[in-house]
Amino acid sequence: MKKNLLPGTVFLVLLLCAFGQQQLLRRFELKGYAQGTTYSIVYYAPDSLVSLSQTDSLLQRFDRSVSLYQPNSLICRFNRSAKGIRIDETFRVLVERVLQISRATGGLVDPTVKPLVDAWGFGVVKPGHDPGKEDVKNLLRNVGAGKIGLKGDFLYKTKPGVQLDLNGIAQGYSVDLLASLLERHHIHNYLVELGGELRVKGRKPGNGPFKVGIEGISGDDLDPAPMRKVIEPGDGAITTSGNYRKHHAAGGKQISHLMNPLTGYPVQNELISVTVYARDAITADGYDNGFMAMGLKRTLNFLSKRKDMGAYIVYRRPDGLIADTATNFFKGY
Amino acid sequence: MKNTGVLTGGLILGNKLSAMQAAGDPVKIAVIGCGDRGTGIMNILNGMPGQFRVTSVCDVLDFRLAAAQKLNKTGALKTYTDYRKLLEDKEVEAVIVAVPLHLHYPIGADVIRSGRHLYLEKTMTYTIEQALELVALMKGRDNQVLQVGHQYRYSPLYYRVKEMINKGYLGKVTQVDCRWDRNGNWRRPVPDPALERAINWRMYKEYSGGLVAELLSHQIDFINWAFDTHPQEFFATGGIDVFKDGRETYDNVQLMLRYPDQGLIGNFGAMCGNAHDGYLFKIKGTLGTVSLLTDQGMFYPEKKLLSEKGTIDGVTGATRIVWNKEGGTPILPEPTKDGTWYAFNDFYQKIQRKELPDSNVFTGARTAISVHLANQALYSKKICGWDNGYKIG
Repeated sequence: MKKNLLPGTVFLVLLLCAFGQQQLLRRFELKGYAQGTTYSIVYYAPDSLVSLSQTDSLLQRFDRSVSLYQPNSLICRFNRSAKGIRIDETFRVLVERVLQISRATGGLVDPTVKPLVDAWGFGVVKPGHDPGKEDVKNLLRNVGAGKIGLKGDFLYKTKPGVQLDLNGIAQGYSVDLLASLLERHHIHNYLVELGGELRVKGRKPGNGPFKVGIEGISGDDLDPAPMRKVIEPGDGAITTSGNYRKHHAAGGKQISHLMNPLTGYPVQNELISVTVYARDAITADGYDNGFMAMGLKRTLNFLSKRKDMGAYIVYRRPDGLIADTATNFFKGY
Repeated sequence: MKNTGVLTGGLILGNKLSAMQAAGDPVKIAVIGCGDRGTGIMNILNGMPGQFRVTSVCDVLDFRLAAAQKLNKTGALKTYTDYRKLLEDKEVEAVIVAVPLHLHYPIGADVIRSGRHLYLEKTMTYTIEQALELVALMKGRDNQVLQVGHQYRYSPLYYRVKEMINKGYLGKVTQVDCRWDRNGNWRRPVPDPALERAINWRMYKEYSGGLVAELLSHQIDFINWAFDTHPQEFFATGGIDVFKDGRETYDNVQLMLRYPDQGLIGNFGAMCGNAHDGYLFKIKGTLGTVSLLTDQGMFYPEKKLLSEKGTIDGVTGATRIVWNKEGGTPILPEPTKDGTWYAFNDFYQKIQRKELPDSNVFTGARTAISVHLANQALYSKKICGWDNGYKIG
């Protein structure tokens, strides 16, 4: 009699444990300010395992490494150096990754784009006027992913004028680092968002998936357009690159903040925004600017060969109307 | 030469027109009243030599005339202690009147009768009757420009906010909160006790409408203009609560104004006993709040905007730059210049084109009447109401 009861009791205890665990998951939300924008983390855990001071200090460490807004950051020291400097783990991971993506995009993603970004008025210091043809030619002498390289933890440059801008990929990586911080604290259901770049894992208690809105492209923060789509990405990262918010007028035209490192001129094509899905945010963020530079056809072609990435693209048709299209991951929304 | 420019300019539209006018002669302008405001304006005009040249100044106090003379960068000014003598000077094309409030009407009206363009400091007039008389006086004088010195709303920031209100970005606006506070007695130094009333005229009811006329009138005027309305009911309280130094105008005032056509309540307060808020201007609607300083502003959308699409856990988009931790968005990317610069830039344009300025005799009258009724409510301790018999415009 006793013996027969045991399996049932064990099962019941296990069930209660499992049920109890579910019950214990509570929602925690961290909201902070970093990289000139806001960030928010939602996670489900039995207790407040990660605090705002931890995420803030992680992001401050990150800035000391690769922020162009901190004159003493490693990246600024590299930019001022003649030959290069020793860098830390964060910086090294970013450089390795961005060089890899640079090769994959035929040079349309390029970490040495900073002189162009500055000259076209999107850097920390604004110039008085836009560069001319000759200026652009001169600037391009210091642009090119082949002009930097890693020897162990030493990041070198081939010319003193070579300068890095990792803003196109760093934000995504900082989102990954926040996700890793959560994982280290055994948090497996979360959504991390910084400046519109996201990392998602798991589900909400009650088994609901995390829902992510893709922002409308009015570019007017004072009169935001409704969400273009609401998606349920599952585990992975979602980032967006777009020229609808950050641009300025020059010669009667709107100038994008995204540079084409091959031509030296701001990107100008039919694309308005690209939202990318990838397994991690360093990948999604690393590619999204590249897709903006590639334009519609090349991006669709590129992604048709990649099973691990997808994109939702908003563009302007030749007749002026706004249209959108999606590759594998985003189909069905 | 200038007339030719205007004639030709009239045939060309848009930005080409302003480019042509910049090449025209500067307007010869006189300043009547060389106190803080008069000389402050002269400082701004020093930076606009293509548009204005100050040729003469007038003040009843000699030391002020001397100071104004020193300030001028383009040689000697003609100086007057009697403004009527100044108005006999044929060279003068436009006049700035920056005198104590009780003199706005008599001097302003004389300037208009003399045929000159007039930049009249705010508040337009001291009494309701004077406001209505100035409106009547301007009738038929389409070639003369009368601009009232509510300069803050001339900045691109305030135009943008008006546009946001009119386009419904804020939703239904039901309250505005305005403050203009300081921690100090609001007095100017007096070199000779005999000059106390002349210099500290803001302290005395005979000359001044106090904090309401000198400060809150700007915000009252902006609400009138942005919503194309005026208050109907005026509730007010106040007293001499901080500086019991012989002054007559209150140093602590609070107004509640009701705009029934808009379903709007306006809270306007000013005091001399706390400077923490300083200048505060919040416009609160169902979709968001605008919070303004004189040169910069933030927009805070209401939180419910995001949840309208159901429960979204996150939003992806191109990076949004925010200025502060509350998630507010700057209305303009950079702080604007001093409002006086924009106001005079436009005064020049309007003189060239003989057009009605945005801060004109009609809006000026609406605001002057609003200020006067608010002060009536304040000092009589009674609720006052707008009389629909006022004939403006």
